[in-house]
Amino acid sequence: MVDVGSLALAIAEVLALYAVAMSLAGAYWRKADFVASAEHAALAVWGLAVIATAALLHALVAHDFNIEYVAHYSSTTLPTQYIIAGLWGGQAGSLLFWLLILTSMSAIVHLQNRHRNREFMPYVTAALMAIALFFISMLNFVTPPFQRLAFTPAEGQDLNPLLQNYWMTIHPPALYVGFVGCSIPFAFAMAALVTGKLGDAWIRTTRRWTLLAWFFLSMGNLFGAQWAYLVLGWGGYWAWDPVENAAFMPWLTCTALLHSVMIQEKKNMLKVWNMVLVILTFELTIFGTFLTRSGVISSVHSFTQSGLGPFFMSFLVGTSVVAVGLLLWRLPKLRSENELDSMLSRESAFLLNNLVLVGIAFAVFWGTVFPVISEAVRGVKITVGPPFFNRVNAPLGLILLFLTGVGPVIAWRRASVHNLQKSFLLPVSLGLLGGAILFAAGIRHYYALLSLSLCIFVLATIVMEFFRGTRARQAMLGENPVTALLRLISKNRRRYGGYLIHVGVVMMILAITGTSAFKEEKQITVKPGDTFPMGRYTLRYEGVHPHETPHIAYLTAALTVLDNGRQVEVLRPEKRFYKRPEQPTTEVAIRSTLGGDLYVVLGSYDDASKMATIQAYVNPLVSFLWWGGIVLALGTAVTIWPARVPARAPVYADAGPRGRVLAE
Amino acid sequence: MDRRIRFVIAALLLAGAVAYLMYTGVRQTAVYYLTIDEFLSKRDGLVNEGVRIAGRVEPGSVRKRMTPAGEELNFRLADFKTDGAANDAVAVQFIGVTPDMFKAQGGSDVIVEGKYHDGTLYAQSLLTSCPSKYEADVARK
Repeated sequence: MVDVGSLALAIAEVLALYAVAMSLAGAYWRKADFVASAEHAALAVWGLAVIATAALLHALVAHDFNIEYVAHYSSTTLPTQYIIAGLWGGQAGSLLFWLLILTSMSAIVHLQNRHRNREFMPYVTAALMAIALFFISMLNFVTPPFQRLAFTPAEGQDLNPLLQNYWMTIHPPALYVGFVGCSIPFAFAMAALVTGKLGDAWIRTTRRWTLLAWFFLSMGNLFGAQWAYLVLGWGGYWAWDPVENAAFMPWLTCTALLHSVMIQEKKNMLKVWNMVLVILTFELTIFGTFLTRSGVISSVHSFTQSGLGPFFMSFLVGTSVVAVGLLLWRLPKLRSENELDSMLSRESAFLLNNLVLVGIAFAVFWGTVFPVISEAVRGVKITVGPPFFNRVNAPLGLILLFLTGVGPVIAWRRASVHNLQKSFLLPVSLGLLGGAILFAAGIRHYYALLSLSLCIFVLATIVMEFFRGTRARQAMLGENPVTALLRLISKNRRRYGGYLIHVGVVMMILAITGTSAFKEEKQITVKPGDTFPMGRYTLRYEGVHPHETPHIAYLTAALTVLDNGRQVEVLRPEKRFYKRPEQPTTEVAIRSTLGGDLYVVLGSYDDASKMATIQAYVNPLVSFLWWGGIVLALGTAVTIWPARVPARAPVYADAGPRGRVLAE
Repeated sequence: MDRRIRFVIAALLLAGAVAYLMYTGVRQTAVYYLTIDEFLSKRDGLVNEGVRIAGRVEPGSVRKRMTPAGEELNFRLADFKTDGAANDAVAVQFIGVTPDMFKAQGGSDVIVEGKYHDGTLYAQSLLTSCPSKYEADVARK
């Protein structure tokens, strides 16, 4: 099986190269059979990637420890789901997995476009296969996954215990799908630039792909946050670590892209900007991989100082040069016919939203690479920590939150006073009222007050949209409220799905506000029977209980949680000592309610005195982060679901500003 | 045309705001990031500055003590290269939760962040960096 895997990768190398050459030659000499042959080669590369992945999976499951990768990342005692997760637990495997996703998506694109977008397809094939070729070359020449050892160890070194967690098994695949998904719009954008067909055909074709990539990026980041929260035991979920930033930056530019393509579709504007965003997003996914693989920036969970860095850097530079070159060449053709009419319009709200998103991405980029820049310029490495990112991004994030409320409901072209009043008087009043109530309730954290008021404002605009749309249907069509609401959504999926996504985002911002403004933390050393207050609870330390399994030795502390003297729960944080590789890990215990989490960690334990150090946190509203993610997923599903009826909405169903503008 | 200028001004204002936030952010939160040998040679000039230092825990130098504030950890931070007795090292004190990957016998690669005064580095944070976490050296015999 293993030799089949290496052989498959070797053939894939040749075929990917063939596909690039043939598709370009076919486009140049207008030979349809060349192009068809290239497309078949692209499908074959997918088949070969499947075979190679299956071979590695087989080796992992069969415990073939003669394979270096298998000996590294699995063992005979490892549970099966983590053996499978071992496929992306290490470098070579994760690159192979990446290749599998990329070629699978490429296969889908080729099958979808057998009879469509024919003028684009040769270049799409060439772009996707060029990217695939890079990964295949890495696998063949730099980090071969099927490398054999000179001997066969009796037992593997096991997967890092920190990675033996449910969220960690799904976090990398989600992120990879997101990263790789950004290649599809990139490939189509390149095809549009080469062919000069710069209208919105490439945007319409890739809209779902972009949304899908964005969705998986969102989920990938969120799963990572969940993992950090449950496993790392420092009470938080986001630390602005370079590795996290690497995944966050493409998400930001991809979010900007999702919004700005709407302007190109509706108003035929921002064509250059959209190209820039597509290129930027793609390059940031490669940069993210470079960052995590090169060890250029030191990170707490940096992967390795592997030899991959220079290759990724070259790939990054090479693709950027080609993409920017094409863009500059086509610049005269990309000039838009329309101009912005007014500052108070949906166009400018979207544009501003884009600028803020890119501004955040730039600040994150700057903070991430700052040590490298400062070393190059001043000769000293200077790092900026989480305070830098919070300081810069909090105000920008609040502007963005404000625009989330404004953008979808303000009128196109030019908002009249009437439009502004009708759309915003009530939400603004509610936001101000909410802020005033919170102030009266004693909250003096001004960022939090502003953020919470804005959350109320945005939610109010969204609720109003749903309410107005539903009522219009009820009035026009005599539907009952539930039918009216469901039909409203199903006939305008993009729009109302988008609103649902915004609700999810607002929920996440609630959580971020709660945890950053009102978090409490305490570290205390206690002996059995001691009690201490934490948030609205009192905690009583009962002692530590040791026990053991063949795989892991445990120290489990018991902490009784008392709410007004009444016992509500016993929390059991653990220290685990994995036996192979020998490594202790921390298992946190959490009492989660909608209002907030009580999060406790067993810091250290002294057997002689029976004293333990407990680290306790109260994280207000944090569960909204996860619930917001679920709402976001729902919204995405609504938006992306293929509409059975053509998506054009009847005018009477559209009570939004567009309808009103038409009426005015 | 003047509309376009207004937009350019708005965009510039935003860019200016981002630049300002970034500038002050760097000013107020930057810390020197040094390797231990850089720190050791410059330490007299770095008293009371925020520093972040990467080094290796000198084997056998780790002392733990329970205090009401948490576990107090004292160790000496030495060069990455010297695994045995280091000729020069700096004393580090850290009170808090010892990271899981921190080996009691010493030898862990760590990043400490804190302030240096009175001959001791008082660390606010202690991170175990582990370059070999995902790609451990496999014994190539």
